[in-house]
Amino acid sequence: MPAAAAPVSLNTGTLTVALAGNPNSGKTTVFNGLTGLRQKVANYPGITVEKKTGRCPMPDGRVVDIVDLPGTYSLVPHSPDEVVAMQVLRGLRADTPLPDVIVAVVDASNLARNLYLVSQLIELDHPMVVALNMTDIAARRGVAVDAAALAARLGIAVVPLIGHRRRGFDALKAAIISATRPAAPAWRLPDPLAAEVAALAAVVADAAPETNATATALRLLAGEDGADLAASRGLDGVSAALAAARGRLAGRDVVQTDIEARYHWIDALVAATVAATPEAGRRSLTERVDAVLVHRVAGLVIFTAIMASLFVTIFWAAKPIMDALQDGITRLGALLIGGLAEGPLRSLLADGVIKGVGSVVVFVPQIALLFLFLSALEDSGYLARAAFLMDRLLSKIGLHGKSFIPLLSSFACAIPGILATRTIDSRRERLATILIAPFMSCSARLPVYALVIGTFFAAQGPLVQGGILLGCYALGIVAAAATAWIGKRFLGRGEVTPFILEMPSYKIPQAGEVARQVWTNTSKFLTKAGTTIFCLSILLWALAYFPRLSDERIVAIRQAQPAAVVPSDATPEQRQRAEADAQSASAHAIASAQLEHSVAGRVGHLMEPAIAPLGFDWKIGVGLVGAFAAREVFVSTLGIVYSVGEVEEDALPLHEALKADRRADGKPVWTPVVAISLLVWFVLAMQCMSTLAVVRRETGGWGWPLFQLVYMNALAYAGALLVYQIGTRLYP
Amino acid sequence: MNAPLPSLVPLATLAPGSLCRVMAVAGEDGIRRRLLEMGLCTGVEVAVLRRAPLGDPVELRLRGYLLSLRRDQAALILVAVLGGDALRASA
Repeated sequence: MPAAAAPVSLNTGTLTVALAGNPNSGKTTVFNGLTGLRQKVANYPGITVEKKTGRCPMPDGRVVDIVDLPGTYSLVPHSPDEVVAMQVLRGLRADTPLPDVIVAVVDASNLARNLYLVSQLIELDHPMVVALNMTDIAARRGVAVDAAALAARLGIAVVPLIGHRRRGFDALKAAIISATRPAAPAWRLPDPLAAEVAALAAVVADAAPETNATATALRLLAGEDGADLAASRGLDGVSAALAAARGRLAGRDVVQTDIEARYHWIDALVAATVAATPEAGRRSLTERVDAVLVHRVAGLVIFTAIMASLFVTIFWAAKPIMDALQDGITRLGALLIGGLAEGPLRSLLADGVIKGVGSVVVFVPQIALLFLFLSALEDSGYLARAAFLMDRLLSKIGLHGKSFIPLLSSFACAIPGILATRTIDSRRERLATILIAPFMSCSARLPVYALVIGTFFAAQGPLVQGGILLGCYALGIVAAAATAWIGKRFLGRGEVTPFILEMPSYKIPQAGEVARQVWTNTSKFLTKAGTTIFCLSILLWALAYFPRLSDERIVAIRQAQPAAVVPSDATPEQRQRAEADAQSASAHAIASAQLEHSVAGRVGHLMEPAIAPLGFDWKIGVGLVGAFAAREVFVSTLGIVYSVGEVEEDALPLHEALKADRRADGKPVWTPVVAISLLVWFVLAMQCMSTLAVVRRETGGWGWPLFQLVYMNALAYAGALLVYQIGTRLYP
Repeated sequence: MNAPLPSLVPLATLAPGSLCRVMAVAGEDGIRRRLLEMGLCTGVEVAVLRRAPLGDPVELRLRGYLLSLRRDQAALILVAVLGGDALRASA
C-alpha cells in the first residue's frame, strides 16, 4: 500500500470528485453548495438509480465534475442505490470514471455511525477529504468535534461545514484541490483473523502487485461478492489460499469481528476528538419532538392532519390555478389558430396539439404542490416518521412503511407516486407498491366521477353524491389492499424484508432545497408523462378525425336538420338567434356523425358487443377509447359524441343530452345502474398509457406493465359486469 | 462468548424506557451484517424509546442517533437489560 499523505497531482485532464456519505448526512446540500445550479440529473444506464452530476469552479480557475452518489451506509450494498455507490467508488461502472477524489460527507451530530463508512472509504486508498457537515446541529447538541485532531488521525483534511448555510465551501474546495491519500487503516483485527488476512494479502499481492491487497483479502474472507473480487479470486493461488484460510477460521465470524474492530477504532477516535458539554447528556430536541410526533395518540392525530392538509391542498388549492391554466391554454389556442381556415391542420392544432398540451400542463400546479409538500416533509425528517407510523398497517399486506407516501401521491397522479417508490429498498415491496399505485383514484378520474355523479345523482342531494364519490376512492383503496394481500399470500412466500430505518434529526426545511426539489420533480413529470400524453393526444385526434365524411353525407345531414323555427312576430334579434341556434345544432350533428364515421367511432361500435353486458353502448365505447390517452379525455369525447360542442365536466348541456339519450327500444341509455357500473370501471381500470410507460421504465421491461393492464382491466370488467347484471335485476 | 448468559433477552421484548447492552446479533447474513454496520455491535448500549402506535416498529437510540426496527429484526438482537429510565437519561 502506498505511503500515506502523498499529495496528488491534479494538473491534467478533467477532475472527477465523488460525494459519498450516509443517507441524511446532508450530502445533497453539500452537492448543491459546490455546484450551485450547474447540475444535471439523469439515470444510470439501464437502472432507475438517479445519477446527479454537476460542475464546480475551483479557486485556481479549473472546473471539476462532481458526482453525487446515492446515500449509503456501507460499501457492502443492500439496495440498488447502494450498489451504484459501491460500483462507482470501486471503479466498476463503465459509465462513470473512477473518482480522482472522494469527498466523504459526515454528519458531525452522528459521528460514530457516519465514520463506519469512512473506515471503508479509507481502504479504497484514494485521495480523500472529509466534509464534516451539520456542525451547527452538533454544536446545538453540545457536541464539538475537533476537526484538526480528526484530520491528524485520519491523515486527510477534515473541513467543518454548515451545508445549508453555505458555510465552509471555500475551505472544502481548497481541500479538494490538495487532497491526499488517507493514513493506512489503524484498526486492528484480533488474531487469528489478523494473521489470516495478512497471509492471504501476501498471496494476492504476489499475484497482482497493484491491488489493495489487505482490504481485498479481508473482503474475500468476509465472503463479500463483487465483480472486482471475482477477478481477485481468479488470481494464481488465491482461491486455494482462501479455501484453506476459511477452513482454519471455521466457526469464527469474520464479518462481525471486522465490523466490531472498526467500531472499536471509531469509539476511540470519537473519544479523542469530540468534546461533549453537559448539554450532550440531555435528550435531544429530535427525541423530544418524537415523543409527540410518533406518540400513540397525538402522533396519529398529527399524521392524519398533515396528510389531510396535503390532500386538501392538492385538490382544493390547486383547483383554481388549474382552471385558470386550462382557460389560458384554450384562449391562447384560439388566438393561435384564429387565422387558420377550417380543415385538418386547424383541427390537428386545436383538438390534437393544444388539447394535448393542455391535458398535461393542467396537472402541473397539482404536481408542483404535491412535491412542495413532500419535499418539505422529507427535508424536515418527517417522512421517516410517516413510514414508522404506517409500517405495521402496510406490512400486513406485504408493503413497507415507505410505501405510504408513493400511494398517497398517487391520488394526485400515479406517475409521481411510482417514481417515489425509488426510496423503497426491497425490490419485492417496491414492485408491490408500483403495481397497486394506479388503483388510487388519481385526479384525472375526478372529472369523470364529477360528470357521472353530477348527472345521475343530482336529485339525491350532496350527501349521497359525496358518499358515492367517497365510495369510488374507497373501492380503489380496497382493490389495492386486496391485490397487495393476494400478492403477499401467493407470490412472496419465504423472503422476509427487514425494516431498518434511521430516524434523522428534525430540521427546518430550507426554502432553496425545497424549491429545487419541486423544480426537478415537476420537470421530470412534464418530460416523462408529458411526452406520452402529448403523443397519444395526437394519435387519438387522428383516430377521431379520419376518415372524413363525404360532402354528400354532410349535405344530407344538414338537410335532415329541422330548419330554424321562427315565429312570425319575432324581432330581428330573435330571428338571428334562432338561426344561429339551428346552425350550431346542425354543426354538432355533423361533428357527431363524423365521429361515428371515424376510426374511433368504428372501434366504439366494434366494442359494443363486448361492453354491452356492462351496460355501455358504442358512444361510451368511444369515450373509453379516448380515455386511454388520459382519463379526463372521456368527458370531452362524450361531449363530441353527444354533439354538444365544448364541455366542462359540470356543463349542463351534456347532462341533459346524456339523460335524454335512448336505446333502440326507447329505454334510456344512461340509468343510475349504468352510471355506477361506469364509475366502477373507471375506479379499477388501467387506462393510462403514461403510467404503463413509467412502470415499464421502473420495472425494466414490459412484463409487469402488461400484467397490470390485463389484471386491472379484467378486474374492472368483472366489477362493472357484476354491478350492471345484479343492478338491472334488482332495479329493472 | 461461550459462557451461558442467563439474563439474555431479545431486544424486541423490552418495554419502552428500557436500557440494555447488545450481547449478540443473530439472523440471516445480509440482515445481520446491516444491523452490525448500523452500530448494533456487542457491547453497545441501546435505549428503547417507544413503539409505533400500532405496536411495531420500535424506535431505538444508540450511539447518539435514532433508529427504528421492525420487531422481527429487533428479535434478532440479544441484549442484557441495564435499567428502565432511558426516556429521561441519555444512553
